[in-house]
Amino acid sequence: MLLTLPSPRALRTGVTLILSLLVAGLSLRPLEAPAWEQVRAKQPALRLESIKDALGQGVTVGLIGGFRAIVADFFWIRTNFVWEQNDLPATQTSIKLVTAIDPRPTYFWLNGSRMIAYDMPNWRIDKAGGYDRVPESVKRRFDLEQSKVAMNYLNEAFGFHPADPLIRLEIANIYLNRLKDTESAAQNYKIAAQHPDAPYYAARIYAELLRKMNRNTEAYAYLKTLYPTLPKDNLQAMSQVVLGRISELEDELAIPVEQRFRPE
Amino acid sequence: MTADSVPFSFSRLSLIASNTFLEAVRQKLFNFLLLLAIGLVASAQFFREFNFGSSELKFIADFGFGALVFFGSALTITTTAQLFFSEIENRTALTLLAKPIWRSEFVFGKFLGVFAVIGVFCALTIGLMMALLWHREGQLMQINPESFEAGRILQYGDLFMVGVLQWLKFGVLSAIVLLIASFSNTNLYTVVTGFFALVICHLQYLARDSWGNVDSIILRTLVRGLGYIFPNFQLFNLGDEIGVGAGIDPAVFGRITLYAVIYIFVFGGLAVYSFRKREI
Amino acid sequence: MTTPVPAISIKGLTKDFAITLRGVKLRAVDDLTLTVEQGQVYGLLGPNGSGKSTTIKVILGLLEATAGEVRVFGVPSHRVESRRNVGYLPEAPYFYRYLSGFELVRFYARVCGVPRAHLEARVKEVVDWVGLSKAADRRVGTYSKGMLQRIGLAQALVHDPKLIILDEPTAGVDPVGSAEMCELILKLKHQGKTVLITSHLLAQIEDVCDQVAILDHGKLIVNGGLLELVGQRDRQALIVDPLSAEDIEALKGWLSTRGHALNAIEQPRSRLDQLFLSKISRPGQNGSQGGVGSNVVPEATPATKTPFNQA
Repeated sequence: MLLTLPSPRALRTGVTLILSLLVAGLSLRPLEAPAWEQVRAKQPALRLESIKDALGQGVTVGLIGGFRAIVADFFWIRTNFVWEQNDLPATQTSIKLVTAIDPRPTYFWLNGSRMIAYDMPNWRIDKAGGYDRVPESVKRRFDLEQSKVAMNYLNEAFGFHPADPLIRLEIANIYLNRLKDTESAAQNYKIAAQHPDAPYYAARIYAELLRKMNRNTEAYAYLKTLYPTLPKDNLQAMSQVVLGRISELEDELAIPVEQRFRPE
Repeated sequence: MTADSVPFSFSRLSLIASNTFLEAVRQKLFNFLLLLAIGLVASAQFFREFNFGSSELKFIADFGFGALVFFGSALTITTTAQLFFSEIENRTALTLLAKPIWRSEFVFGKFLGVFAVIGVFCALTIGLMMALLWHREGQLMQINPESFEAGRILQYGDLFMVGVLQWLKFGVLSAIVLLIASFSNTNLYTVVTGFFALVICHLQYLARDSWGNVDSIILRTLVRGLGYIFPNFQLFNLGDEIGVGAGIDPAVFGRITLYAVIYIFVFGGLAVYSFRKREI
Repeated sequence: MTTPVPAISIKGLTKDFAITLRGVKLRAVDDLTLTVEQGQVYGLLGPNGSGKSTTIKVILGLLEATAGEVRVFGVPSHRVESRRNVGYLPEAPYFYRYLSGFELVRFYARVCGVPRAHLEARVKEVVDWVGLSKAADRRVGTYSKGMLQRIGLAQALVHDPKLIILDEPTAGVDPVGSAEMCELILKLKHQGKTVLITSHLLAQIEDVCDQVAILDHGKLIVNGGLLELVGQRDRQALIVDPLSAEDIEALKGWLSTRGHALNAIEQPRSRLDQLFLSKISRPGQNGSQGGVGSNVVPEATPATKTPFNQA
């Protein structure tokens, strides 16, 4: 194959093009840089080393090419498929892969932790012989182990979502439903309820947990401070339910009528 | 005898643009767009199977933007190359350039025609996606009202802005392909090089971030230079923000828009420079 | 009174094409000088590869000259304004298949700056003029070769240019189409237009051109008026009724007393294309002489055969 050399004119044109683009790039950097900083700030660092072995080359290129969200979505769909097959190792790996690819959606952390804390103990019990045959102590151990994995996973999420009340609530739910630790659950519900974006039920559940622990005085005081903050026209706020619980507690605590709570 | 001068004419430029647009439309391109839109609708139903709750909206948005970026990029490169080379290969460029018309009118007219075609594609895709999301969000608000305590989650104005930014990015890509076509001899070479340019522009941010880590001075200069020569397509990647419920800063939108418009003129101007002496 | 500027003025035109392998260049046109005056029909002839198309492309600004100067109505050909008064019909024209005839001509009319006020009328006028009114609403992609040539001529004429360049206008066209093209060219000439034609069909060039140039390997071989180049000035041809042998001898004797010789006696013949045209039915012709089944033969023209008597 014979080599063909470009003509002098072609070389001149090529050099002119490259130099022009270089000048354009340099000139536009002050315009682009502030915007790029903002865009970049919203994209958490890609921990490529931890995940590239799990991905193919093409997917890795797609990842660094800016398709993180859709790659994560596709791997989440894959997670659902292996979850349906009760494949614990594959599900756990897949869950962690998804949040390693894109830690921004809270949805992945919450649902991943639920799969770990609620479904995987049952899978382990099934694999160990079933509910009828596995001793209670073993079941309890499975619950504790999986709950710990889920808690660690959710604590990792705080690195990307520092004050997200939903993650705090998820931790609270695990304490309550899996570990039966009402005290720790209550503490976490309280922390979650303090966030301005927390769902209204967080505060109500905290108060109910206090009642469950026979700390009615605390619950009564809490609900009295809560009620005035609730929007009266919002169904989700359930202000009438809160008022009803205040009234119940007043009866339980035998509060004199003249000292009872009067909503304004 | 002196001839009247022939100044640059936006009227002629728009003539070339509208003729290019017409050629694309009559090549049944819109059938392809329609199939794609139908595909999007069908695929959105797929996510209902998984019971993702309100996050189903994120999946629809991510998938929609992914399809827009993927198919839009392919469409931009192939359409630009095809509509340019059809003039050269069919010799209609011969007849046209023998008229009193500037080569810059021809090049920018071609660009505008392609830009309009891609604009229709983006409008159709984003419009369909917004309609899907609006409809599905309404349904989910009935099913899971507690997830929608503050009203609708998605910012549809931001969705539209992301669509506009993608269209502008495709405009920059089209201008790059036109530059390649201005000196290329074949459609195939133009398309292949166009795809390479697309990948480089998407990964350009790696060069600008990592040039300092290169040992060799020559390589370091080259890597740093790459970070300046190619535009940064990652800048336009704001679709993820919609999916996670974050908004688009108007100031950022304005900067990125200006960045894209300037690059369109830069690449378009260089295409004219390269094409001016091309022998037809 | 000032001399009109030539329609085309070529001085020392040289065009090299770079073949990049070892820097070898192909010289397509070599030091060409010629002038096309306004109002002429000028034929540019030559075998394939002689440089005709290259010369035309330089005139139209599609190629840049390596050396020399080319002007169109006094304006350098590389400038956009030089094409303001030029109409071009390329060889084997290919147009936008998806446009109708009207749309195509309208598009080029707008590109050439035909005012909007006159646009529709002018488009209709030229389409009628080339005889495509009935087909102008169909897409160009459905046109035959001859129709493509005619719509090509329409787009070349729509902006009323002073110079029309026709590159092989009758290539691949049947004798009817070729004859119609020649008629159109003569009409243009009568309108005072300047026409530059390239063609391989020398008989057609002969019928319409005032001036011809012949190129070979990029060089100008012959250039001049047609009659000067091909006419035999030292001979005359007289067409008479058939003579008997005695009358011929008497004529020879009479001529020799006056110092002239009878060089040849031949059977006059018309051209084959003329016979063809007289026999077949042509669209738009009513009661013209000839036609299918007619025994009428058009007027013969003097033949140029081997002389009867070389002495």
